[in-house]
Amino acid sequence: MILLDKLYEWLDVRINAREVVARELTGYLLPRNINAWYSLGSVLLFIFALQVVSGILLLIYYVPDADKAFTSVATIMNQVPFGWLIRMCHAVGSNMMVLVLLLHMLSVLFMGSYKRPRELNWLTGFILLSLVQAISLTGYLLPWSQLSYWATTVATNSVGAIPVIGQFLVEFLRGGKQVGPHTLGRFFALHVALIPAGIAALIGVHLFLLKRTGISSPPFGRSDTSNHWTGESYHYEKHPGGIPFFPNYLLEDLRSISLYLAFFLAVVFFNPYVFFPSAAFVPANPYLTPAHIKPEWYFLANYQTLKIFPSEIIGLAVQGLAMTFLALLPFIDRGAERHPLKRPVFMTCTVLGLLLWIGLSIWGHYS
Amino acid sequence: MEDEARRRFLGVCLGGLGAAAAGGVLWPVYRYLTPRSGDEAGRTFSMAEQDLPEGAVKFFDFAGSAAVLVRKKGGELVALSAVCSHLGCIVQWDKARMSFVCPCHGGQFSTDGVVLAGPPPRALAKLPVSVAKGVITVG
Repeated sequence: MILLDKLYEWLDVRINAREVVARELTGYLLPRNINAWYSLGSVLLFIFALQVVSGILLLIYYVPDADKAFTSVATIMNQVPFGWLIRMCHAVGSNMMVLVLLLHMLSVLFMGSYKRPRELNWLTGFILLSLVQAISLTGYLLPWSQLSYWATTVATNSVGAIPVIGQFLVEFLRGGKQVGPHTLGRFFALHVALIPAGIAALIGVHLFLLKRTGISSPPFGRSDTSNHWTGESYHYEKHPGGIPFFPNYLLEDLRSISLYLAFFLAVVFFNPYVFFPSAAFVPANPYLTPAHIKPEWYFLANYQTLKIFPSEIIGLAVQGLAMTFLALLPFIDRGAERHPLKRPVFMTCTVLGLLLWIGLSIWGHYS
Repeated sequence: MEDEARRRFLGVCLGGLGAAAAGGVLWPVYRYLTPRSGDEAGRTFSMAEQDLPEGAVKFFDFAGSAAVLVRKKGGELVALSAVCSHLGCIVQWDKARMSFVCPCHGGQFSTDGVVLAGPPPRALAKLPVSVAKGVITVG
């Protein structure tokens, strides 16, 4: 400890570390009525870091070549020591990232934290959701299994419904008329380089916006001491008498991360194949489409929507409209009230929307 | 005083738990990254005796590295590591001089692996070789 104190002292006389700690950690005060839902952002940062580390480890043995990809993944799973653990953490982690991201967005929705002046926080968060879906979709192809191959065929095919440029886009995405080695190269580059860089940059913007506006107070719980934004000019939302981020809320973050880890590792160790249908264990065969090929659980509602509408373009348009509506929600729902129970129309629409999404997903799963 | 002792005890417990957790994470990662011993293909190498006439050499993979088999004038067989003892380049056979030359820094070795010239500090490592029923086996 003495060594650490000396190091801290050494840093302090050079860069005034104490001032940074006082401003950003011990003196960074959060609302007194803050709750555990606020720690989901930290859980997501942790998951992203874990995905990056496990992804880098997988890159050591994975071969992005259509002839070797499946075998290299099988080698990681069966021969490399603890390869199964690294791969399962990556595969299960990608599903968990989508799940926790949805929960994070739901908590923001119900607590009205997307409302002004935090429109940009919501928008960047929404783009992050899209990027996480994109990174999951591109990663899905990499094991080059029957599931990978045909799920990617179906997913890229739906772009073809866009009038005029649809077919060009499909071929552009695939790098050819059908999913093949060129698609693998493209998806690999997107999955390991472009999209992760985009996600990291957007996380930076998201956190920057959070620091500039100040953290929002929950609309319920203990009495709030915040000085709220009124709209005339820029105003940082302070929380005098609030809870210090360090050590108080950091412990809350660590508790949430520990709870997440318990759940995540329970899946990895006790039910790792919950996200793997049998087609995931057969090498890709471009001449044999397996029966009942389904996308990942978070795309099931989209999949079912496309099946319901007689025209694919209408199905896509409906989804596009729903996504645009969600992305622009803070600019549409402009009321000041944030308490969920005092927003009956919003609550009814959100709950019905959620039920519709869950219903479509279940329908998609069993259809 | 009692509070301080309790705090120290809890600190030690927390440190121990942290160390155990770090070990639990780092051990699988270390094992994952460690080269697998089974990967080094060709722990023995065999070839027909008739395929290696006097004055000929045969380069091959041996235990994950390069090796060379040479039949000297007079018929004696020698198996050597082909890795130069200077900086690890692979030596090449100079048929005219009946010796090995390292292309990196000009080290020269005799057919027995002994340093003839250049910077190599030691001879090429010798490998066990045997002949049975017309088959040469190294390793």
